[in-house]
Amino acid sequence: MSEAESKEVKGMILYRGERHGGQNVANWRIFRPEIDEDKCVKCGLCAQYCPEGAVTLDEDGKPQIDMRFCKGCGVCANECPQEAIDMVKEGR
Amino acid sequence: MMPEIDVMPGNKAVAHGVRLARVEVIPVFPITPQTTIVEYIASFIADGELDAEYIHSEGEHSCLGMAVGASLAGARTFTATCSQGLAYMHEVVAQAVSYRTPIVMAVANRVLGWYWSIGPDYSDVMPEWNLGWVVNFVESNQEALDMTLQLYKVAEDKRISLPAMLNLDGFYLSYSQERVEIPDQEAVDGWLPPYEAIHPVDPTVSDSWPSALIPPALHTTYRRKYEEVLQDSREVIEEVGRSFHETFGRRYGDLAEEYRCEDADSLMVTMGSMTTAARRVVDRLRSQGEKIGLLKLRFMRPFPANELRALAGQVDSIGVVDRVVLHGTGGGGVFTDVKAALYNLDERPPIMNFIAGMGGDDISIDDLYGMGKKVLRTSKTGRMDREVEFIEHKVPPSPEPVKIEWDNPLYPGSAGCAGCGSSIILRRMLKVLGSDTVVVIPPCCGTINYPSVSKVPFVLANYAAAAAFETGFYRAYRKKGKADKIYLTSYSGDGGTVDIGLQAISAAAERGESIMWICYDNEAYMNTGIQRSSSTPMFAFTTSTPVGEVWKGKPQRRKNMVLIMAAHRIPYIATASLAYLPDLERKIRRAAEVTREGKGFAYVHIQQPCAVGWYFPPEKTVEVGRLAVQTGAWPLLEVEDGSLKVNVKPRELRPIGEYLKLQRRFRHLSEEQIQVVQKEVSSDWESWLHLEKMGRLPWY
Repeated sequence: MSEAESKEVKGMILYRGERHGGQNVANWRIFRPEIDEDKCVKCGLCAQYCPEGAVTLDEDGKPQIDMRFCKGCGVCANECPQEAIDMVKEGR
Repeated sequence: MMPEIDVMPGNKAVAHGVRLARVEVIPVFPITPQTTIVEYIASFIADGELDAEYIHSEGEHSCLGMAVGASLAGARTFTATCSQGLAYMHEVVAQAVSYRTPIVMAVANRVLGWYWSIGPDYSDVMPEWNLGWVVNFVESNQEALDMTLQLYKVAEDKRISLPAMLNLDGFYLSYSQERVEIPDQEAVDGWLPPYEAIHPVDPTVSDSWPSALIPPALHTTYRRKYEEVLQDSREVIEEVGRSFHETFGRRYGDLAEEYRCEDADSLMVTMGSMTTAARRVVDRLRSQGEKIGLLKLRFMRPFPANELRALAGQVDSIGVVDRVVLHGTGGGGVFTDVKAALYNLDERPPIMNFIAGMGGDDISIDDLYGMGKKVLRTSKTGRMDREVEFIEHKVPPSPEPVKIEWDNPLYPGSAGCAGCGSSIILRRMLKVLGSDTVVVIPPCCGTINYPSVSKVPFVLANYAAAAAFETGFYRAYRKKGKADKIYLTSYSGDGGTVDIGLQAISAAAERGESIMWICYDNEAYMNTGIQRSSSTPMFAFTTSTPVGEVWKGKPQRRKNMVLIMAAHRIPYIATASLAYLPDLERKIRRAAEVTREGKGFAYVHIQQPCAVGWYFPPEKTVEVGRLAVQTGAWPLLEVEDGSLKVNVKPRELRPIGEYLKLQRRFRHLSEEQIQVVQKEVSSDWESWLHLEKMGRLPWY
């Protein structure tokens, strides 16, 4: 639960402003994205379009996927102009 | 003919009741956990199994208004709602009584939002049950179907002519599967004749009509008469119950049902689906030699006072299980009525109150067993430990959030669907607006999925009032000299924008409130399960415009919100797409600037392809959005101070079929229908280009 009761006002529910992050949603995934670094031209579209914000770009502009937050939707692979991202079935 | 037997949820049982009653007019508005009632009804009509006028209302206030109008005109009328929706109907609930309209309304009970939940308690119906309706509660799905039929016969009886409410517990009944016998249509037709209004508002057949206007001096008299009518309805309810039993073989008791009350010295009082668990507890206690019985209140209005009084002389204590608190009285709503009914008796037993199951919290057999034991102890000792007890449960632990360093006010790891387009839009919106932003959000998918991963306040507003909430925030910030320090925006779905929210948006725009309205338009009510809105495009399948023998998706074209907002002469209007993110970011930035400068209302309407509701694979979210722009289905526009610009102009629009064929909500379209859409899109596109050429819209 992200809510807490106020210490000052009895029974008042507060939204916790100090929360740091979302849930680990890795177990939603059926397919996982795998980036072929040779094909990647660092255009950054995958990071732009990732609904979850799970793709970030490192200092060199290379995309990094935080697999804790990837739900496996495949938008990154569908949008990649280089077809550098493969969706691979989990467990393989 | 043998009746058909099937396994179905309570909502489907109600829909079958409506079909069998041959209801003529059905206004609807979606709300969980009621929605599937009106979805099942839509599919009956779509398949030609029911011939009825089905009205997609723009909000519950209008929905019940339509029902009253239809009933006044002489039609058998049905609607369904719950919770916030029932509260939004409130004034019309009273109006339906003064007009004596025999509407039947199903309420799939759900808590009214002092805290929000979609689970059941009776806080939604409690404020309504004192207004003069016949108010029934059912325990099972079979009873839900049977009472739908019985309530029409009661409500339409000339001695009564009052609206009736059928309450079924959300989730416990609305979505739970049970065995249900579906009566034969012929048998129902023989038992429930067509509705004949006594005084229809129809100048071709009648010269007198029900009126809601009487002088103050008559009010007391007519309240007395209504009360007498409502009290007289007991007899009709009993009569109808008996005749239903004779025809269909099922009987549930009258205003209340006694269970194992013979020789009982202790009594539990219950309502609705909890009764089933309470019966098992009574069985268990009886098997231990305890003399305990159960009274199930089937009707809350008229209140079964006689049934209670008859048992009060026999038992040594009564325990009332209440799924509603009457705040300020210290106890529950049913408890208060039970006490009141028994107060003037010469001898009355102690009455205890157990408040349980708020907001859908389960009332388990163990809970009820504990309550039964307490009632028995009070019978033996003559003393109760506590008059009112809240039955509380511990919250199950939930996982802690993943802690990460993160700049964007929206964290990753939300509850949104995989491939959710709204998530792409919201992430961009908050990236532009930053941390000093207040998001006012009416009920929508976003309410469920994103506040829990956000650093900025998401204020949940009542559905029709989000623009009003925003206005209140804005005026307070302005008074405190902070209007230029905080960005204020809505994040609303299309229902909250084009339908139920439009009145408050229009008013705020006309007053020139310097606030943003950002709409993510997924072209249907997705949060309640894909019902059509007035932003749903023509021919689309939704669960309230299904495709069947008779219906072929939504027949109307969608609202043109850009021109509606332009008619308000507001300083900034734009449409945007999640496939064109730089354009989207620029437009949100511009909207923010316009409001910060105090220039007035800024409106940004963003199309949000929805994999679940448009039926395409989630990886296609952005692709579908891009095709919407490139085919002209979703033109990217901007109106700044009255000058309209078409921002993205493909050299040639791609054929609309490329866009439609990606989405299964359009898969039933014939080539001719695709051409109809093509014509419409092309002509709209020409109109936008024409308006752009005008320079400034002439009315600005």
